[in-house]
Amino acid sequence: MDDAVLEKVIRRHLKNLPEDQELAPEASLKELGLDSMKAVELLFDLEDELGIALPDNAMTRETFATPASLKQVLLDAAAVS
Amino acid sequence: MTATMTTAADLSGRLDTVLPVLREQADAVDTAAAFPERSVAALRESGLMGLLVPTGYGGLGGDLRALVSVAGALAGECMSTAMIWAMHCQQVVALVQHGSPQLRERLLPRIAAGEVYVASVTSERGKGGHLFTAEAPLRRRGGRVLLERDAPIVTGGHHADGFLITMRDSESAGYNSVTLVYADRAELTVTPGDGSWNPMGMRGTHSGPVKLTGEVDESSIVGEPGAFRTVAVSGFVPVGHVAWAGCWIGGAQAALRSVLELVRSPAGRKQFDLDSELLRARLARARLDLDTMAALLAQVIRDIDQGGDPEDVPVQLRLNGLKVHTAERSLAVIDLLIEIVGLRFGYMRGTAMPLERLFRDLRSASLNYANDRLLQANGTLALLDRAVTLTY
Repeated sequence: MDDAVLEKVIRRHLKNLPEDQELAPEASLKELGLDSMKAVELLFDLEDELGIALPDNAMTRETFATPASLKQVLLDAAAVS
Repeated sequence: MTATMTTAADLSGRLDTVLPVLREQADAVDTAAAFPERSVAALRESGLMGLLVPTGYGGLGGDLRALVSVAGALAGECMSTAMIWAMHCQQVVALVQHGSPQLRERLLPRIAAGEVYVASVTSERGKGGHLFTAEAPLRRRGGRVLLERDAPIVTGGHHADGFLITMRDSESAGYNSVTLVYADRAELTVTPGDGSWNPMGMRGTHSGPVKLTGEVDESSIVGEPGAFRTVAVSGFVPVGHVAWAGCWIGGAQAALRSVLELVRSPAGRKQFDLDSELLRARLARARLDLDTMAALLAQVIRDIDQGGDPEDVPVQLRLNGLKVHTAERSLAVIDLLIEIVGLRFGYMRGTAMPLERLFRDLRSASLNYANDRLLQANGTLALLDRAVTLTY
């Protein structure tokens, strides 16, 4: 998985993250502006850009907690599909 | 109701053997308006024909929740097969609750083994579908009961192995003195009645007319003579409404699933604008209808499980209301889903998503034991409950 693409996609949905600020792997996505409605948009965006579909049971708060947690779930999903 | 002896895993294992057959057969059955023989054969094999037969007789001892979950799963593949099965289960409940010991002994193990599919004969020329009246009288002769019955609509009438038949108790009895009688196909001469079966939907139920003549042992009378109302109110009607609701909700649920699958797929997202407020509002409505139908169904199951007076006014209002509401709203859900996916996916025959067939199938739901009649009853009952007693 291309980390740069992943970060680019995630950043689009973080309205509280200035462009020049780093996105740390353990940063709270919620604090950076990702609410549950936005998570759906992010999900679709990830599917389009990375071609990875997440199962419905991965649509949890834990999945969308941090860039690292999200990346792990995406890797798991990619391994399955 | 019997305590459940079936686990969810057991049911899902049995369904795994049945659902692919229904999926494969549904379209052909609909096109030909033919009875789903292979699907029913798979149900016989699976043990699910005996879902409500107590384990002591070799059945699965399932409860109402098991009934609903199986009905819903079947309906998601073929509404006709699901309704055939649901009505069979309704007959089984009457036999379990009110069959004589001799009848239960000789019949329930055969039902559990999948040998006997039981059809319901309640319609009659002249009186239509009214459940609590009958014209054709029973005649008794030395411990034997003779019957001769002409029924305009019998689901699966040409394929059933047994029949539960409503009859006027005797030639001198009033039309509302109704007796329920079980007859094996072997005890009857079954001839096709006048008329054919070429309906808009539910085409696989093959609910054509039949004429039945024959004689059975007196032990085949189910419940007290003339007291079909008691049999009906205590199980036959509640279980029927619950099972029908389970089928209709299951059909609408499967339809919403398939639409979500479509619009969420990578190809679908190019075609459907998921940011559309209209689309989201429509999805929300469809989901809300399913949640309210399921909630009412859950309350009716609680009402039945609590074993209170089935003629309690609020309980009756909910039971009738469940049939009316799920008939209306399941069709409304399909209608809305067709609006969402449009002509190509929603209106054409032979697509992967059978919305067109479900629409035709569910159009019959309000007519099948007519909503109009139940609303008349509920209007009267509403007047009797000035306090407007609600349960939640």
